[in-house]
Amino acid sequence: MSLKHDIEFTLNGVKRRATVDVTMNALDMLREVIGLTGTKYGCGEGECGACTIQVDGASLNSCLMFAVDCDGRSVTTIEGLANDHHGDALRDAFVEHGAVQCGFCTPGMMMQADHLLHKHDHPDEACVKRGLEGNLCRCTGYKKIVDAVVAVGTAQT
Amino acid sequence: MSELKHYFAPTSLDQAVECLKDGDVTILAGGTDLTPQSQAGRIKFKQTLMNIRHIPQLSGITLEGKEIRIGALATITEIMEHPLIRQHLPVLVEACDHFASDQIRNAGTIGGNICNASPAGDTLIPLLVLDACVELASMPESKIYRHCMPLSTFFVGPGKTRKSLCELVTGVRIPIPEPGHVARFYKHGTRPALDISTISIGIAGTRKDGALTDVRVAFGAVAPTPTRATQTEKALEGQKLDAATIEKIAAIARDEVKPIDDVRATAWYRKEMIHNITKRILSHVAQA
Amino acid sequence: MTVAEKKARVIEPDSLIGKRIPKMDAPEKASGRTRYIHDINLSGQLHGKILRSGRIHALIKSIDTSAARALPGVHVVITAADIPDQRPIGVAKDHFPLKVGRVRSQRDEIAAVAAESEEIAEAALKLIKVVYEDLPVISDPEEAIKPGAALIHPEPHGADGSHMHLKQGMSIAHKGKPDNIAMRFDYAHGDVAQGEAESDVVIEDTFKLHYVTHCCMGVSGMIAEFDASGNVLMYSNTQVPFLHKREFAEYLNIDPARIRIIQPPIGGGFGSKLDIYPFEVICLYLARAAKRPVKMLFTREEEFLASPTRQPVLLTLRSGCKKDGTLTFRQVHTLHDNGAYTSWGATTPFVMMQTFSSLYRVPHCDYHTAAVYTNNPYAGSFRGYGNLQATFAIEQHMDMLAEAIGMDPLEFRMKNAQDAGEVTGQGMSFKSCGFKECITTAATRSDFSRKFRENAASSKKPGNIKRGIGMASMLHVGGGAKIYPSDGCGTILKMDDFANVTLITGASEIGQGSETVLSQLVCEELGLPISAITVVNNDTAITPWDVGVHASRTTFIAGNSAIGAAKKAKSKILAVAAKKYGVAEADLDLRGGFVINAASGEAIVELSKLLRNLHFQDKAELVMTTFYYEPPSVHQDKGFKGDVSAAYAWGTQVVEVEVDTDTGFVKLLKVTGAHDVGRVLNRLGIEGQIEGGIVMGQGYAFTEDLIMENGVMKNPNFRDYKLVTAPEIPEMDIAFIESMDGEGPQGAKGVGEAPAICMAAAAANAIANATGVRMFELPFTPEKVYRALHGQTPKLYWKPWRAE
Repeated sequence: MSLKHDIEFTLNGVKRRATVDVTMNALDMLREVIGLTGTKYGCGEGECGACTIQVDGASLNSCLMFAVDCDGRSVTTIEGLANDHHGDALRDAFVEHGAVQCGFCTPGMMMQADHLLHKHDHPDEACVKRGLEGNLCRCTGYKKIVDAVVAVGTAQT
Repeated sequence: MSELKHYFAPTSLDQAVECLKDGDVTILAGGTDLTPQSQAGRIKFKQTLMNIRHIPQLSGITLEGKEIRIGALATITEIMEHPLIRQHLPVLVEACDHFASDQIRNAGTIGGNICNASPAGDTLIPLLVLDACVELASMPESKIYRHCMPLSTFFVGPGKTRKSLCELVTGVRIPIPEPGHVARFYKHGTRPALDISTISIGIAGTRKDGALTDVRVAFGAVAPTPTRATQTEKALEGQKLDAATIEKIAAIARDEVKPIDDVRATAWYRKEMIHNITKRILSHVAQA
Repeated sequence: MTVAEKKARVIEPDSLIGKRIPKMDAPEKASGRTRYIHDINLSGQLHGKILRSGRIHALIKSIDTSAARALPGVHVVITAADIPDQRPIGVAKDHFPLKVGRVRSQRDEIAAVAAESEEIAEAALKLIKVVYEDLPVISDPEEAIKPGAALIHPEPHGADGSHMHLKQGMSIAHKGKPDNIAMRFDYAHGDVAQGEAESDVVIEDTFKLHYVTHCCMGVSGMIAEFDASGNVLMYSNTQVPFLHKREFAEYLNIDPARIRIIQPPIGGGFGSKLDIYPFEVICLYLARAAKRPVKMLFTREEEFLASPTRQPVLLTLRSGCKKDGTLTFRQVHTLHDNGAYTSWGATTPFVMMQTFSSLYRVPHCDYHTAAVYTNNPYAGSFRGYGNLQATFAIEQHMDMLAEAIGMDPLEFRMKNAQDAGEVTGQGMSFKSCGFKECITTAATRSDFSRKFRENAASSKKPGNIKRGIGMASMLHVGGGAKIYPSDGCGTILKMDDFANVTLITGASEIGQGSETVLSQLVCEELGLPISAITVVNNDTAITPWDVGVHASRTTFIAGNSAIGAAKKAKSKILAVAAKKYGVAEADLDLRGGFVINAASGEAIVELSKLLRNLHFQDKAELVMTTFYYEPPSVHQDKGFKGDVSAAYAWGTQVVEVEVDTDTGFVKLLKVTGAHDVGRVLNRLGIEGQIEGGIVMGQGYAFTEDLIMENGVMKNPNFRDYKLVTAPEIPEMDIAFIESMDGEGPQGAKGVGEAPAICMAAAAANAIANATGVRMFELPFTPEKVYRALHGQTPKLYWKPWRAE
């Protein structure tokens, strides 16, 4: 039988508990134990960014994080961003700029973009491109994603 | 099925080194190396998984006398954004800036990087040319024992270090460079991000009369470990940096390294890049 | 209110065509709410996993599944022995899903498990014991065609050497093949000997095109379920649901009517979902045996190993021209590594010959090719479908021929580019044609000629940074491709009591925005806002037939189909209104949700009110229409000649690079594109397609390389298979040439594949302009470029070979 551990953490603003396999990664915990499927599996190795979430105010790849390491921390996923009016501007920008095609990379992109916009007031195109360098997209060629993030940054006060 | 039987998250260094006494412990810091490697079966869990992220002595970036001490848990992002590092060790900032991706920089730790001992480890090259020392802690008897080891002797093979199974890396110490100190880092890869270097080069020294003294040269991805290039250092030490000398040193650098062919590059190309980039770096240093 | 003030409302003209219309499913996708196949879970489902071969080429001596079967949580373990009536899949019917007797490549499927969880299924795989007897690996197609080469598909024999008692059939899977040729094509128009005789300059070069793979961000997967009556429900990301329905029925030996395919939103297609793959049939076998739903998902590593690749090609091109710049002939021989089993990669010559015969005016052309079995992965269909490979060779020769006769490369291209009205040697009839305008637009906007001259002059000067500019054009089908018995698409349209439209279309949405474009066309026809429409496009039990998403056909064919149904609805509505209000039908129109007077724009009645009146009257009626659109293209004859598409599309790309000769690193600075799209429908959508295609082409040219060594894939991961990342993209300047195709919906033509097609060719021309060194092999990684610049790359020559 595999070793399990109880954790307590804040997920999208709500305090909760979970029992997880000690060797499980945070991505699998979110998708299978908690049932939030907005965060995606792209590669499981931290090379594509599809699994990006935010923990204690910083973005990271949930496939590279142990689920037990969520204990005592504050975790935000795309579902949390979607319910936050902060996320509205970003989502509207993604939609209006045509930054979504198949949409599979979109949750990870948005989580990373949101983090980037928190760190930089009005990031220019070069800063946004560097900020998104860990998120792969096969459909859009990135241009409209970058345009959307720059637009939100410009409108930010 | 793994042997894993215990999960432990110590809140003090004493607790951690006590747990390490039997050596049957897998250490979890940022998780950016342990997670994919364990999921792929390349690393098998020992009996205990110890999460060291709650140990206060392992965090922080501080000035301690003439040294900067970086706690093992400092993330790559924390390092590259810290005013002390930006002011005194810009070559380390340069290496951190091209490290993987923002997401990995936010979680990956310097301690994890050092213990992972990748031959292409980006942060390891600047640390080598900055004469960094690794802080180690253990509990051989009933008291904690802490000591430092120069990073230049720490790596013994790909993924292998001098750290014993009972030891914990607690931080890294770097002497603050003297005035006149210059250091350069260059990572050669195929793209700006998420790239394991084809080769990387670190050069440091103190500028004096058009030459560099007290020189350190380190190469990455051309040997089983990140290495100091002692022959290149000898050739560079105290030499006035004119075009002919630079070419001579670059040629010695090319001959000194014995890289392998792998899926990222051939040995021939790596040697060529060591030559061309060493030449480029030294030319820039000479002109600066 | 006075009489004078009580004026009828006037509805101003407005159009959706050419506007920037956000994708209809974008808000859900940007909220993380969209459920892809990975996110769908059926109650009672089991997880399926496949045991893949531990060898590249070997006989299977024995398989012992007893320990796996005994593992708690395992429901079913199957091998080929458990499916004695297994039927081969693939266009050449050479491929059993569960391998019989031998394995021929790294990805080969040996056994499969359905278990309570993924972990248990993985653990069960590890308990399956297979004994192999290794055979020599053939990883080079040139070796595979040598006389006496070992056969990849010999006549099957059992483990003891005896003849296997497989069900008698004529397919290669059953009876083997006496040689390693999987498929061959021979094409000719005109007389190349005559063309060569008329030439003042003749050049011949070999080009080598490499393995790349789709890398859809969503990995492959499927869910299969048999209901109590033995009907099948499949959740599948197929791009061709109706074709698959028929094929799966054959593999399961049931009536196609008993198969229903539902298509969840897809995490990328790009042509990867145009064939049936072993994992899909195996998932069905597992579900059938377990009597439970079975969900199967790939890992990313499996996605690399077991997905089809782009077709690698060894190509020798011989071209000629006169000194006045007229092209005379092209003679092409190619060798295609078919891999172990045949999929659509083997049929890429269909598309390649279109480029050889008809990209620019070529009086004489012949082309011979063979696809050859090896122990490598097999190639499938991938955006561009052979055209990238063909254009890489043709457009380099355009530059090289121009140089040989001392003519400016732009002038040389303009001299040979076709105009509307021309019919090519292959019988393709260019009705709308914006070819020349594409070339001149891209050249002017990029300042091509001046830069080309200046860079060429600088290439010899000292300094390690060199700038280069290169041009390439492409020709692709833009109105479907009549390669199946029908190239059509069906539409069912209904309107409700509130003037909302439901569009039920056979055309699948694979992320390219087809549902938005179809909505746009229908709403334009019916004078409704885009918010008034719902699209149903993902269930074979509901939607009418469409051949599928390929050949850039969806906007054109599904678009015309949707317009046909909408026109019928409009006609009915106007007839009803004419009768009710005592006016002539020809005087009416639909606009802004109203029936209006066509001339004045005066609103006569709100459309929703009219529809309610129609519904709730004595002779009640609803507006429900259907339309099946078959494009006016023809099947090619046995010589591959014929007007295979209802329209053709062109694009020109000018690529600017900066080469660091000290490292070989090539920075892609800018791409200036001009695309003949007929007409821009959704400006936002089409820009997205072009930008995405450019970056995919950038990857093909510079960064992506699936490295195979003796049949082993060395980099099945994103760490070492480099997709382009955000900081690497070029500046993009894209212009649209609207040649207004007469048959296209609102004049539009297909564009899905076009932007990826000429990037590599333009990049090669740019590097040659920058450095004076021409590269004949892809990709242009720093090491490959550095080697070429330093004379470390011997010039490849493949002697033209033709199968007997």
